[in-house]
Amino acid sequence: MRVVLQQLTKRFGAVTAVDALDLEIKSGEFVGLLGPSGCGKTTTLLMIAGIYRPTGGAIVFGDHRVEHLMPKDRGIGMVFQSYALYPHMTVAQNIGFPLAMRRGVAGDEITRRVREAAALVHVDGLLARKPAQLSGGQQQRVALARALVKRPDILLLDEPLSNLDARLRHEMRGEIKRLQKEVGITAIFVTHDQLEALTMADRVALMSDARLQAYATPKELYERPVNQFVAEFIGSPPMNFFAAELGRRNGSVLATAQGIEIELPPARAPRGDGQRQATVGIRPEHLAIVAPGAGHANGEIYVIEPMGREQIVDVQIGERRLRAIAPPGFSAPLGASVGLRAAVDQLHLFDPAGGERLA
Amino acid sequence: MTGTTLPAPRAPFRPQTLIPYAVLVLATLPILVLYVWLTYSSFFPRIEGFRPVGPFTLENWRFLWDPGSVDQLRNKPAIIPLTINTFLFAISTSVVVVLISSMAGYALSRLPFPGRRMFLGGVLLLHSFPSVTLLIATFIVLRQLGLYDRLLGVILVKAAFELPFGVWIMKGFFDTVPWELEMAALVDGASRLRTWWRIVMPLVKPGLLALGILTFVQGWNEFILPFVFMPSGSQQTLSTFVRAILGEGRFVDYGLLTAVGLYYVAPVLVLFVVAQDQLMRVYAGGVKG
Ligand SMILES: Nc1ncnc2c1ncn2[C@@H]1O[C@H](COP(=O)(O)OP(=O)(O)OP(=O)(O)O)[C@@H](O)[C@H]1O
Ligand SMILES: [Mg+2]
Repeated sequence: MRVVLQQLTKRFGAVTAVDALDLEIKSGEFVGLLGPSGCGKTTTLLMIAGIYRPTGGAIVFGDHRVEHLMPKDRGIGMVFQSYALYPHMTVAQNIGFPLAMRRGVAGDEITRRVREAAALVHVDGLLARKPAQLSGGQQQRVALARALVKRPDILLLDEPLSNLDARLRHEMRGEIKRLQKEVGITAIFVTHDQLEALTMADRVALMSDARLQAYATPKELYERPVNQFVAEFIGSPPMNFFAAELGRRNGSVLATAQGIEIELPPARAPRGDGQRQATVGIRPEHLAIVAPGAGHANGEIYVIEPMGREQIVDVQIGERRLRAIAPPGFSAPLGASVGLRAAVDQLHLFDPAGGERLA
Repeated sequence: MTGTTLPAPRAPFRPQTLIPYAVLVLATLPILVLYVWLTYSSFFPRIEGFRPVGPFTLENWRFLWDPGSVDQLRNKPAIIPLTINTFLFAISTSVVVVLISSMAGYALSRLPFPGRRMFLGGVLLLHSFPSVTLLIATFIVLRQLGLYDRLLGVILVKAAFELPFGVWIMKGFFDTVPWELEMAALVDGASRLRTWWRIVMPLVKPGLLALGILTFVQGWNEFILPFVFMPSGSQQTLSTFVRAILGEGRFVDYGLLTAVGLYYVAPVLVLFVVAQDQLMRVYAGGVKG
C-alpha cells in the first residue's frame, strides 16, 4: 500500500521532533529512514503507526487519510527496537497475539498461521519457549513473525538490527531484505547506520534535526548528494572536504586551495561566473596515490590503515589532511612525499554558505 | 570433552562469612524464643519463668470447641463467626486496595495529567500521616453516610488508609513495564483496556500478589478501626476480641490469652512463610520476566 506523509509535524512541548516532513512511499517499496540519533526517526514511525498523534500534517495510506485511526485499525505490523516481545507469553502466543485480538479468527487457523509465520523466519522449533529463553537474533525473528502474521499492508521496523552482533547483523540484513521482497509488503525501516540503509533500502530518506535532508535511491545519494550534510553522512570512510577558490583559465574552471589545483570538467563546474568560493568534496575512493608532481596535489603520508581489501591512507597537504584509498599492495614509509590524483568527474561542489550542491 | 563434570572449585572457607549470620541469629533469637515459649505455655496450666508447671493439657484451647465453658467468654461473640468476620474484613480490604491501586498506579505511571506531581507528593505525604489523628473526622463521615458500626464502613476506612502505600507501590511496578510493550500490543490490535489487562497486568502480578498479602495482614492485625467504628459486639474482629479478654477486669487468664493469641497470629505466620518470595519483591521492587 502507498504511504504519503504531507507536512507531517510533531512537537513535544518546545521540542520539534519532526518538522514538516514530506515523503511518498510507493506500494511494495522498502524505504530506509536514516539519520543521526535524536533526529526524529522513531517519532515519525510512531506517528505512522498511530501511537503518536501528529501535531500537524497528514498521513495517507492508499487513498485514505489515517491520522484519526487507532493503531489497531491501520493494518500495520511493527518491529520495535527492543523487540517488545511479551515476556509472559510463549513464542507461539506472542506470534498469535495479533490474531487473537481479532474477532472471528478460529483457534486452529491461529495455530496454522502462527506455524506459517514462524517457518517464514525459521523459528518454528522455538514455539514453546518464553522470550527470555531466546537469543537476540531469535527474539528479532519472533518479532518479525509477530509483525507479519496478520498480513499487514505496511511493515514498520525501528532499528531492527541495532541489538545484534556484527555477524548476525549482516545475516539479518540480507534476510529482511529478501523477506520484504518475498512478501511484497510496503516497508519502512529506521536506522542510524548508513551502511544498513544503503544496502537494504530501495530509497533512503535522510533526516537531520527533525527535517528531511534528502530522499533518493542509495545510488543517487552516493553519486549526487544534494547538499553537504548528505555528502558527509553517506559513505565510509567519509568524504574529504576543502575550501577552494574558483577561477578561470583557458575557458575552464579551476579550483585552487593551498597545495591543490584541480581543473574542473564542464559537467562539474558551476554555471555562470558569480561563484568565487566553493567547498569541494571528494570521496577517498576517488583519490589515487601517485608519484609526487603527477597529480592534483602534493603532500606527505601521515598514516596508513590497512583494512584487508584496501588501505586507508591519510595524506598531509599543508595544514589539511586528505584521505585516500590505496590498493592492498601499496606501501610507503610515513612522511614519504606523494602526489594525489582526483577522479575529476567524481568531484562535488557545495556552496560554502548554505551547503547546497553547486554542480 | 570429558564425560564427567568436574566439581566446581569450592571457595576457601573464611570465618568472616559467618559474621552476618551471627548478627541475624542474635537479632531474631529473642523473637523466636518468645514464640516457642508462647506455643508451649499454651499447653500447660501454669508457667513459672520458662518452666511449665503441671501436666500437658488442652484446657486453654477449650474456647475453640466449647466456648460456653470458659468464664471470660460467657457474653462474647462466638469465635468461629468472629474469625470469619476477620477474614472478611481483611480480604475485602485487600481486594479493594489492590483493585484501586492497580488502576491509580497505572494512571500515575503512564498519563501526564495535570496535577500528577502534586498528587504523587500527596500520596507520599498521606502514607506517612498517622491515621489515628483522622479518627474523629472519619467518625463524622461514617455517621453521615450511615456506615458507622458496620463492617462495610470499617473496610472502606481501612482500605482508604492503606491506599497511599498501595498506589505508590503499584506505580513503581508499572514503571518497570516498558512503554514499547504497550505500543506493540496497540499495534497488534488490542484496545487500551485489553492492553492493560492482557499485557500490563500479568507483568505486575508479583506486585499485585505482594500488595494483596501485605494489605491482608494489615487488615488482619488492625485494631483501632474495628474497635472504634464497630463498638457493638456482633461484628467485632479477632483483634478486638483479644483485647476484650485482656481487659475483662478482675484477673487475666494468661493460659487462655496465649492460646487465643496464637490462634490469632497463626494465619499471618503461615501466610508469611508461604509467600515470603512474593513479599521480598515489594522491597526489592522489580519484576522479572
Ligand atoms: N515522548 C517524548 N517527549 C518529549 N520529547 C520526545 C519524546 N519522544 C521523542 N522526543 C524528542 O524528539 C526528538 C526525536 O526523537 P526520536 O526518538 O524520534 O529520535 P530518533 O531519531 O529515533 O533517535 P534515535 O536514533 O536515538 O532513536 C528527540 O529530541 C527527543 O528527545
Ligand atoms: Mg529511535
